[in-house]
Amino acid sequence: MDLVLLAEMIAAAVAAALIYTIIGIIPGTDETAVLVPVTLILVLTGVQPVIVLCFFISAVIANNLMDAVPAAIAGIPGGVMASPLVDHAQLLKRKGMADRSLRKMAAGSLIGVLVSVPVSLLLARSLIPLAEAIKAYADPLFFAGAVLLALLSKNKLLALASILPFTLLIEGLRYLYWGIGIVPRGTTVFISFFLGITIGPVVLTLFELLNKEKRECLKCDQPRRITLQKVPFEWKSLNPFHALKKQEWVTSAGASLISCFTFILSPVGMTTLLGELFSKRTQDPVDRSMLAITTMNALANATYLSGTLIPLIALGVPLSPVAIGPAHALFDSPPVFTATHNMHHILSQTDFILATVIGAGVALIVTYTLAIKYAQSICAFVFKRIPHEAILGLFCAFVLLLAYMDAGWMNIGGVMLIGLVSGLLHRWGVGYGILFMVLYAAPWLVLGL
Amino acid sequence: MTAHSKKDSEMIEIWDDVVRIKDLVLAIAINSITTLGGYFAAPNHAPMPLLFGLIGAVIGFIICSLFIKPKRIFEETESGE
Repeated sequence: MDLVLLAEMIAAAVAAALIYTIIGIIPGTDETAVLVPVTLILVLTGVQPVIVLCFFISAVIANNLMDAVPAAIAGIPGGVMASPLVDHAQLLKRKGMADRSLRKMAAGSLIGVLVSVPVSLLLARSLIPLAEAIKAYADPLFFAGAVLLALLSKNKLLALASILPFTLLIEGLRYLYWGIGIVPRGTTVFISFFLGITIGPVVLTLFELLNKEKRECLKCDQPRRITLQKVPFEWKSLNPFHALKKQEWVTSAGASLISCFTFILSPVGMTTLLGELFSKRTQDPVDRSMLAITTMNALANATYLSGTLIPLIALGVPLSPVAIGPAHALFDSPPVFTATHNMHHILSQTDFILATVIGAGVALIVTYTLAIKYAQSICAFVFKRIPHEAILGLFCAFVLLLAYMDAGWMNIGGVMLIGLVSGLLHRWGVGYGILFMVLYAAPWLVLGL
Repeated sequence: MTAHSKKDSEMIEIWDDVVRIKDLVLAIAINSITTLGGYFAAPNHAPMPLLFGLIGAVIGFIICSLFIKPKRIFEETESGE
């Protein structure tokens, strides 16, 4: 590996850490919706796979830590992965301890990364002998995955009942496109459908705005009030072990270790489950919240990294909610990556290790420092300068562009339809993971029935 | 209804934050035009259209950020009990 490539990898990791520091802080941004389009565009523009992986790993870590930052200092989650810890962060903020909570979050993230990177790499290696057997059953396994996630979700019957209709919607559109010849037979439209699912809730709300009565209901009479707590900075607070008690780092490391083995389950689910499980025995509410936010930040990173790295290195098939969601572009972005020729097949073991370690290392250095030293000014900048309208406009334009590239003008209607249905299902309580698994299993399910 | 509250009532909550409908429509229109404009204006060989589309999207985002005001009331408090 030459020095130029190494420098490019470091540059990509720094860029990812900076970009996703801003994106992470923006409230409400869904991880899949912000990670997939950018990674996809990098892959399609021909950036070397090892650089893309490095970028992605750094982006995940930056995004996860920065998701939690506004929760600590303003009491609102920056994204889906920060929602489990919002209550705890709010309690600490009310007590005037935003600065300590912020440092604990950053230290928790650090532990999550330090535990999950080596464990995921080792676990992936030990799964390689089983890979052929698993791959042979990939399609039924995606279906089984959808059923499993449905059974573990809050609305079991609803989730189960929506599997078949959603399958028919997807395959119906694909066969229609083949039938009228806008897509050659055998080419599976995927990426734009995928983004349609991700942006579903937005599409649904936009459609509701067109209905006069609904519009009255959606109205919100005042702007959002955000109170930011000032965070004093001292140099000694950069030391992660200074921020944590022994119980906090031991629990975070233990929870991270467990979550690597459950890479096949939903990251938000595992973060909530393990985070609450490990912290609920602590009596004092402040101590309990401190333990919870530390552990949950460690878990957010650990679930994402194991969910990406294990399927990517061992299988080459996106058999986990993270791999099939946020990390999807690493597995499947035709024509560059396909099911039989993706990062799993192109990169060597050394490439994987190097890209992960550089990506994680750079992201930790950049975001850890930024979070501890500049959290307050970055948040103030984002809240004051970046309108939510611009973010929504940007995502809509991305979806529009990719829909057109996949199957022409007609597909824009198709993607809206998928967005509407998945937005409705998501609002009712069907998780994205289930819908993504169905999207994958759909061709097999339709032919098998 | 006063003029002020009438103006406020055009706001809705979407994806966890408050937006004004008129600004949202404007932002989607601007971003779509710059993104698709970039895509169609690009030289017709891969990956140029995608790259130009992406640059168009970033330009659209910057234009929107400059001209649309965020709907957030923002204040800072000191730390401590």
